[in-house]
Amino acid sequence: MKRRVMIVDDSRLVRVQLEDALAGTDYEVAAYCRSGEDAIARYAEVAPDLVTMDIIMQGMDGIDAAEIILKEHPDARIVMVSSLAYEDTFERARKIGARGFVDKPFYQEQLLKVFEEALA
Amino acid sequence: MNSTLTQEELERILNQAVQDVTERTAGVRLHQEDMSPGEDMCTVQITFDKGFHTSLTLCADTSLLYRMACNSFHEEMLEPEDLEEFSKEYFNVLCGRIAGAMFQATQVPAHFNPPAFYRGRFEPEGREVQFVLTYSNEYNEGAQLIHHVPCAQQDEDAGDIS
Repeated sequence: MKRRVMIVDDSRLVRVQLEDALAGTDYEVAAYCRSGEDAIARYAEVAPDLVTMDIIMQGMDGIDAAEIILKEHPDARIVMVSSLAYEDTFERARKIGARGFVDKPFYQEQLLKVFEEALA
Repeated sequence: MNSTLTQEELERILNQAVQDVTERTAGVRLHQEDMSPGEDMCTVQITFDKGFHTSLTLCADTSLLYRMACNSFHEEMLEPEDLEEFSKEYFNVLCGRIAGAMFQATQVPAHFNPPAFYRGRFEPEGREVQFVLTYSNEYNEGAQLIHHVPCAQQDEDAGDIS
C-alpha cells in the first residue's frame, strides 16, 4: 500500500515537482494545501503518513504550522521543504520535531531518502 | 570568517545556480552567450534586504519563460497569469539557491522580498548595474541576470556587507 503524503506549499511549481518526484514510487499525494492554516485544518481528516511543509508561505510560516500539527498529533511525520535554509532555520525545525529537511529544487532520490528516514 | 565575496566568486555562484535551477525546474539548458533578449521580454526582480544590500533582476524573452513554464507545469498552453506565477516561483527558488550559496561562502544570511514581475524591461531605481550574465537556449531565446548595487555604494566587492 502506498504511503500518503500531504503537500503544504503555496507554490504551484513545487507542487508539480513533488507530484512528478512521487510518481511511480511507493508514495502518493493524499492532499494539497496552499497554506499552513489549511494544513492544520485538514490534517486529521487527511491523516497522511507524511507531510511536506514549505517554510515561507503567505500567512502562517511553515515551522509554526508544523509545530501546531505536532502538538495536536505528536506522531505526525513532517519534512520541511524550502529554498532558503540557514542553520538557524534547520535548528528551529529540528526543535519543534520536524523529521527532515529538503532543499528546493530537489532530486527525486534525495527526496525519497529523506522520506524514508522520516518514516523510519 | 570571510564576509565578502569577490565579483568573480559571486558570478560563479550566480552562473551555477542559474544553470542548475533552470534545468532542474524547467528542463531547459541555458548556456552563457553574449545574446541579449529581444523586445518581447519580461522581468522578475528581488532585493536582498538583510546581509547583502543588492538586487537581482532577470530579464528574459517572454518565449523563453513561456517555454520554461509549459515544461514545469506540464501544460501546452498557459494564461498570462500562469506565466507571471511561474516566473515569480522560479525566480524565488533561484534566489533561494543563490542566497544559500552566498551564506555557505560568507556565513551571512541573505533574506529577500518576494519577487516582483513586470512585462518588458524594468530597471530598479537608485541602483546601478554591477555585472550582467547573459544566456541563451537552443532556440536562441535569451535571458540576462543582472546584479545591481546601490548607486552610492558600488564597491569593488560585489557582496560587500554594509
